[in-house]
Amino acid sequence: MTSALNSQYFDIDDSGDVQEFYHSRGWTDGFPIVPPTPEAVQACLDWVLMPANEIIGIEPVRERAIDAEKLAINAVMAGCLPMHFPAVVSAMMAMLKDEFLLHGTTASTGGCAILVILNGPIRQEIGARSDFNVLGSSDRATSVIGRAIRLALINILQVSPGAIDRSTLGHPGKISYCIAEDEENSNWPSLAESRDIPKEASAVTVLAACAPRQIMNEWTTKPEEILDTYAAEMRANMRNYSIWAGNYAVVMPAQHREHMRAAGWGRNEIANYLFEKARVKRSEWSTVGKGSVIRDKGDTEYCALPSPDHLLLVAAGGPAGGFGAIIPPWLGTKSQAVTVAIGACVDCEPAAASQKK
Amino acid sequence: MTIRVLNPTNESLVVTLEPAPRLQSLRGKTVGLISNGKEGTAGFFAHVDRLLRERYQVAEVILRTKSNYSAPAEDEIIDDAKNWDLAITGLGD
Repeated sequence: MTSALNSQYFDIDDSGDVQEFYHSRGWTDGFPIVPPTPEAVQACLDWVLMPANEIIGIEPVRERAIDAEKLAINAVMAGCLPMHFPAVVSAMMAMLKDEFLLHGTTASTGGCAILVILNGPIRQEIGARSDFNVLGSSDRATSVIGRAIRLALINILQVSPGAIDRSTLGHPGKISYCIAEDEENSNWPSLAESRDIPKEASAVTVLAACAPRQIMNEWTTKPEEILDTYAAEMRANMRNYSIWAGNYAVVMPAQHREHMRAAGWGRNEIANYLFEKARVKRSEWSTVGKGSVIRDKGDTEYCALPSPDHLLLVAAGGPAGGFGAIIPPWLGTKSQAVTVAIGACVDCEPAAASQKK
Repeated sequence: MTIRVLNPTNESLVVTLEPAPRLQSLRGKTVGLISNGKEGTAGFFAHVDRLLRERYQVAEVILRTKSNYSAPAEDEIIDDAKNWDLAITGLGD
């Protein structure tokens, strides 16, 4: 074993046995893992210039420390190469911020997953795609980064189903939920830029997120009409799932973006429009079987977004098709999206972590 | 060929807290209920309150509700709990 590493090690006869060894201990997500050898783990640590015992952060509720070595082991298991590891480290740092409420998001019966959104030069350096099948398994980089987060939660914070993870349903994003923004083919500042990260920096944004809800409207070119479809889906989520305002992500592929660009609409116009349109009255609960909890607040209006700045607008998706998606937050503002620059000290001044909503 | 692999779990976990001493009887005691505040808790804890008083002769039942049901109880509630003989929490969704 490499002397710098501190983890317990096992000598196993062959790689097939490694799979069964890890599965039998509940250390996987059910898929095969890449054997976390000391050499592979050390390579990840070397890439980020971190000693094995460097503390990535402490989960605030259960006060569990996460060190670089354990995170690297799980990243290797997920299939990460060293070049993927900085995004994993930064995502975990962001998740450990108080406002993210990681314990609540991972323990809740609500069953959200951690959505990781990549911005900046790292996307191209690691081959993260942001076009075809972007919400599926679009490429190696996003698949393994998202999976590394899930395996780290399972193994380091005991977030396995039935243990800390008390999800009633969960959703497929729990396997891996990472996307990259198509910055090259959009006319608006990147999501990270809009959240105060310098344009030249790479960054991750994390959101405790429900499953994507897909919409379609390819019968108009007017921004208002296109966005009315997105807003309707947000309202449906407010009625059927959770009425509380929070960080909604909107994933807008190229076809819709082109109509926005042609009309001169950018990030601000889109966010302001959805802020005005994604509203329901509590009385609408009577249409979806929730009339018993309206009480005397039927006329109270709820907005999906506490402010336009809470919208996480992401340019991503294939070049053709009048589709889009909204990705609702886990539960209002109980968990807030966090953006951090990759490779920056999140506690140093000036703050690299975005304070934006 | 033998392959060396590493333990991915948090090996540094140690249990440093001992359970509080168990009460021999609830008679005349003060019991605190910490509710997570969800919709179903009102009726549930009202029932628990009644059971504690009628069946177990608890002297006083104090109900405190967290402001965020997904976050730990506020410091004020924890401070209050120091005056209770028993706390019931983690229930009520």
